[in-house]
Amino acid sequence: MSRLKKALEADKFPVVAELQPPKGIALDNMFSPVGFLKKRVTAFSVPDNEHARLRLSSLAACRLLKEADAEPLLHLTCRDRNRLALESDLLGAAVLGINNVLVVSGDYVTLGDHPQAKPVYDADSVQLLQIAQGLMAGHDSAGLPLNGNPDFFLGAVVIPEADPWVPQLIKFEKKVAAGAQFFITPAVFDLEKFRAFRQSLPPHPIKILASIEILGTEEVAQAKEGKWRQVYSLPPEILQELTAAEAEKVLFKGAEIAGRLLKQLKEENLADGVYLKAQGRADLFTMVLEGGGL
Amino acid sequence: MIIAERKPFAEIKAAVAPYEKILIVGCGTCVAVCLVGGEKEVGLLASQLKLARGLEGKHLEIGEITVERQCDLEFIRPLCDFIADYDAIISMACGAGVQYLGQLCYMRPIFPAVNTAFIGVNEEAGLYSERCLACNNCYLAVTGGICPVTMCPKGLLNGPCGGTINGRCEVDPERECAWTQIYQRLENQGRQEQMREILPLHPHDRRTTSGKVIHPAYKRRYGGHE
Ligand code: SF4
Ligand code: SF4
Repeated sequence: MSRLKKALEADKFPVVAELQPPKGIALDNMFSPVGFLKKRVTAFSVPDNEHARLRLSSLAACRLLKEADAEPLLHLTCRDRNRLALESDLLGAAVLGINNVLVVSGDYVTLGDHPQAKPVYDADSVQLLQIAQGLMAGHDSAGLPLNGNPDFFLGAVVIPEADPWVPQLIKFEKKVAAGAQFFITPAVFDLEKFRAFRQSLPPHPIKILASIEILGTEEVAQAKEGKWRQVYSLPPEILQELTAAEAEKVLFKGAEIAGRLLKQLKEENLADGVYLKAQGRADLFTMVLEGGGL
Repeated sequence: MIIAERKPFAEIKAAVAPYEKILIVGCGTCVAVCLVGGEKEVGLLASQLKLARGLEGKHLEIGEITVERQCDLEFIRPLCDFIADYDAIISMACGAGVQYLGQLCYMRPIFPAVNTAFIGVNEEAGLYSERCLACNNCYLAVTGGICPVTMCPKGLLNGPCGGTINGRCEVDPERECAWTQIYQRLENQGRQEQMREILPLHPHDRRTTSGKVIHPAYKRRYGGHE
């Protein structure tokens, strides 16, 4: 059974650490935080060609995590595969011992590093959840029976600061109806907005992992120049803290802020766990966890 | 209607470089309305080609003709007689017209002069925008008359993706998020509950199989055969 599921169900406030798969096959950097963090986090998550930029496959990296005795969270994007490929990768994940799956639509191809690639989106995220549910129930998306059913712990994304909110809420509920058992949000910096989001959610037994992120210098520069284009907001006082720091210290400052946010989220019981994005660096992960008192 | 854009002159010129007797065939319907392949544009392309060849001191004979619709056998059949006199054809119709004329006059090479862009609307002279991808399973009844297949770059069927910002599309902030618009349209009409229905996977086979539509009256008359 999924350790992540167990931890969420037992209200253990699990931490999922996001790794950064390489563009290439050099694994050292990606795996450097694993050995050390294995005992401190519940699972490691591997994005699937994040931001439509080519990376080592999430499926392969998740299997390597398994072999390192770590719990993986596979990301599966609708952008790069049709229903046949999605289903076959899901079955493949199951036999490799990978049961935690985060289903995402996927950033559009033109935003990434292969802008001329053919976008697929044969299924959307709601339909992909239904497909995975179907596999668990023993049939494929064409309704044909499987020989051996997989078991998954299915996650999806919800955008707390979506504006307008109602269409996002409808989509959230569709994802729940389609089988999502937990949700991950984009980075949370504005706790006020996050509280409002929690209040506007109808009572569901659904688990929410809030993302805590250490912004890179690129994003900080974007915000500074007023070119912010993210689906989460960055309160001016946080931006102030980040820009006041010297260039190389932006990440450390970011880790300090992340630790603080993590602590508040936990203390106020605003989330069921956290999803940590710390540039894939062991030192930064550690700083955040320590700052958050975990 | 079908919207197209003229190909760059250099590309057309290079494609027909080996030929000395060329017939340019325009189309009087969609591509004439979007100002790329009607009678006027045939004349313009003919002059450009003649001028360019003339400057190179090379011989070129050009015939010009525009038919009502190149995608209609009735209008292109009479062209057969002419075409025998030419080495090559340039078609200024959409991709359907080019292929149909090429199929009819299969002994002569045919070259397109336009890039067929989309099925869209004429907002005003010179401004066209896309509306339909001919998915053959129209969702407009349940999406408030706004096409999720075409107007959402991802073609999502069950609501906005996570990238929409303030009602704008993640792909291009200049464009509105189709799913935000769909929601707003349905809400204005008091039909937002419609969005809760989970639409199933799209039946792509409806586009990729025979690609034929047979009108019921035609079927009655000819028993379903062409
Ligand atoms: S749903 Fe969109 S693409 Fe499909 S037929 Fe209707 S308008 Fe065209
Ligand atoms: S922002 Fe809206 S229109 Fe753009 S891809 Fe996402 S759902 Fe589709």
